[in-house]
Amino acid sequence: MLKFVVRRVLWTIPIILLVIFMTFLMMKAIKGSPFRKSERAVPPAVLANLNRKFGLDKPWYTQYFRYVKGVAKADLGPSLVLRNQDVNGIVKEHFPVSAELGGLAMLVAMLIGIPLGIISALRVNTWFDYIGQFMSNLGYAIPSFFTATLLIYFFASKWQVFPTNGWDSASAKVLPVLALALFPLTYFARLVRGQMLETLQQDYVRTAKAKGLRWRRVVVVHVLRNSLIPAITAAGPILGGLVTGSFIIENIFGIPGIGRYYVTSVSGRDYSTVMGITVLLSILIIVANMFVDIMYGILDPRTRDVRS
Amino acid sequence: MAVNPEEMEVRQDVVRRETAETSSYEAGAAIRQSSLWRDAWQRFSHNKAAVISMVAFVLLVIYVVITPWVVPYDPNNVDFSSAYLTPTWSHPFGTDEFGRDLFLRTALGGRISIGIGFAATFAIMVIGIAYGAISGFAGGWLDNAMMRFLDALYGLPYLPFAIITLAIFGTVNFWTMVVSLTIASWLTTARVMRGQIITLKENDYVRSARAIGARWYRILFRHLLPNTLGVVIVFVFLELPNVVLGEAFLSFLGLGINPPKASWGSLAQDGYQQYLSHPHIIVIPSVAIAWLILSAFFIADGLRDALDPRTREAA
Repeated sequence: MLKFVVRRVLWTIPIILLVIFMTFLMMKAIKGSPFRKSERAVPPAVLANLNRKFGLDKPWYTQYFRYVKGVAKADLGPSLVLRNQDVNGIVKEHFPVSAELGGLAMLVAMLIGIPLGIISALRVNTWFDYIGQFMSNLGYAIPSFFTATLLIYFFASKWQVFPTNGWDSASAKVLPVLALALFPLTYFARLVRGQMLETLQQDYVRTAKAKGLRWRRVVVVHVLRNSLIPAITAAGPILGGLVTGSFIIENIFGIPGIGRYYVTSVSGRDYSTVMGITVLLSILIIVANMFVDIMYGILDPRTRDVRS
Repeated sequence: MAVNPEEMEVRQDVVRRETAETSSYEAGAAIRQSSLWRDAWQRFSHNKAAVISMVAFVLLVIYVVITPWVVPYDPNNVDFSSAYLTPTWSHPFGTDEFGRDLFLRTALGGRISIGIGFAATFAIMVIGIAYGAISGFAGGWLDNAMMRFLDALYGLPYLPFAIITLAIFGTVNFWTMVVSLTIASWLTTARVMRGQIITLKENDYVRSARAIGARWYRILFRHLLPNTLGVVIVFVFLELPNVVLGEAFLSFLGLGINPPKASWGSLAQDGYQQYLSHPHIIVIPSVAIAWLILSAFFIADGLRDALDPRTREAA
């Protein structure tokens, strides 16, 4: 047990190093220096100075190790474009907003999506199930920028229930959270429904029913437990979906989060910021996947050795 | 030799039974002709949702391909006198702020969106099959190394990964878009293909092929890869909507193909800019995307059921 956890935790270290390395290589592959972007040509001496200041004159492996050392000390380096600001400061300013948006959306998705999946499965092939299936397919197919625009159009512009953009008040958070929650919500609903239907056909459920257990008890003790554990594996794809979705949602609602800042940084060629945020998001996803594997290994010991 | 008439009758009976058996055998020949693919097609055609989706998908492709040939407008002609027309018979989807016909522009955008979708899906399949097959077939340390590399790539978030790849190219056009979306999304196909190859490798017919001394390339190309075809076909329809959506997201963020060319994503971005005054403009490309995703989803679902009944979901 402990051995499994330790091994899984240690595995993430080379994977994180590899991800940083690949991000680093990709950043090096991008042509054009941020200092050459401006209309006024920077004098060569100044350029050399700037390169020296940011360590860009060193060979790539020195730069890479310096960067890894920095990441290990939770230092993502300076911003190449914004003077006197480092990536850490940018992250500190914008990441909590995105984390709150993502966290709230996740919460909404779980609170609505999981019960929806459970009820759909228990009432399979009834009107509730059909409507639930239809909505979940629709939620899966309609791109998030459209749902977000629809929400703004009706709830903010037409009926003026919520503000159109911003992140200052609680009421401003309602629409973006809903818009972002839609994808994970349908994902949860679909997954839980499928798992439930599979569990309901298992022999032990039939046995429990046959020996006269009350249906409610069968569902709670035997079906729910064994159906919801596999739902944990959804955390990986859902986190990825939240990151992608937050890029869109933050742009539409003008939320000062990390996703919107990322797009700005790419256009502004602030590559150290782009790299810092990419590395941060990657580590987040890798660590989340690690927790999923460990949780799953604890809850379902059969899966422990499959991946190693 | 005298033959007992009774025995004679018995013999005739045997003969009669034999002919009956032969004829039933001949009747069975028709059944034997029914191949795996024919069975799959039978199952697919009985799946209502899948068939309707197939029709919807084909209609969408026909609209996208044919419209630019038959509509008499110039997609880039600016005419402010006919700007912001609401849908009419001559402009079924209305016009945009420059008076350009949206029925035509949506079709042209669809050519780019679906074109990128198919090109990237094709590349994803080629890379994914090659990577998965090598990894699964080789096994051992190579398999391990290749899978750990894949694990690391899974750590990179999808959209940033695609955005950085686009930044490396420095320009955004049809092909750089295809490459960057491919690089960001081939991982799952590779992983699934590896699993397929490993499962197939354990089959008795592969073992016996190996036992009689078949070379590795014969086993791989003759016994393993052809049997993954079903999964590949399903994955085409699972990846296609992902790529189209990925392209739409990038274009919506303003990182997509440059104007005046448009994809569904950039058309949606145009519509979003003026959703207050002209809400119908964002609806059209969004519905087109949803149409494509939904139909591809149900086609994939139907194909999965049809090609491999064992994995049929309890739905």
